[in-house]
Amino acid sequence: MNLLGQGLCLLGAVVLLIAAWGVVRLPDALSRQHAATKAGTLALFAFVLGAGLLMPELAWLGRLALLLMVLLLTLPLASHALARAALRWGKEEGGKRS
Amino acid sequence: MMLLYGCVVLAGLAALLGFYRLLRGPTPADRVVALDLLFAVAVLLGIAAALITGRTAFLDVALGLALVGFVGTLAWARWIDQRAAREKEPS
Repeated sequence: MNLLGQGLCLLGAVVLLIAAWGVVRLPDALSRQHAATKAGTLALFAFVLGAGLLMPELAWLGRLALLLMVLLLTLPLASHALARAALRWGKEEGGKRS
Repeated sequence: MMLLYGCVVLAGLAALLGFYRLLRGPTPADRVVALDLLFAVAVLLGIAAALITGRTAFLDVALGLALVGFVGTLAWARWIDQRAAREKEPS
């Protein structure tokens, strides 16, 4: 239980670092946003799960479940709005990839 | 416990990369993407702080950061949308 929790925490941190690396390295706003949101959601999911396994008490599990629910509900919405904005901005720039 | 500090260091590196894109990013959308990433790093650091100190209050901090990040990203996306529409208007 403890080992699995620690492994999930480490996985979350590593995946978040990979997401940040993608945000720096990928060529345009849409692909950067794809890296940040998809990998970022997976990282937070794994880290919250790991934290829940490390601290199996009601006070922790309730808050972590609420946090996980909020994250899973809001991250796709924010990502969608941001992707639409980036797409429209790109069209205004004459479709050139920057 | 050592492993949690390692997670904090990794998240700090991710925050540095995010700040690079925030300062450098050529379009406003790039900067908002970097801001989104920085909020994700902040939520992760909040959970790590809760695990290290053993206080659940930091989990509430992480929850608040997640909500503020959501509203902030939506607001910036709307702003980019409106600015793109306004720049189309004159031409």
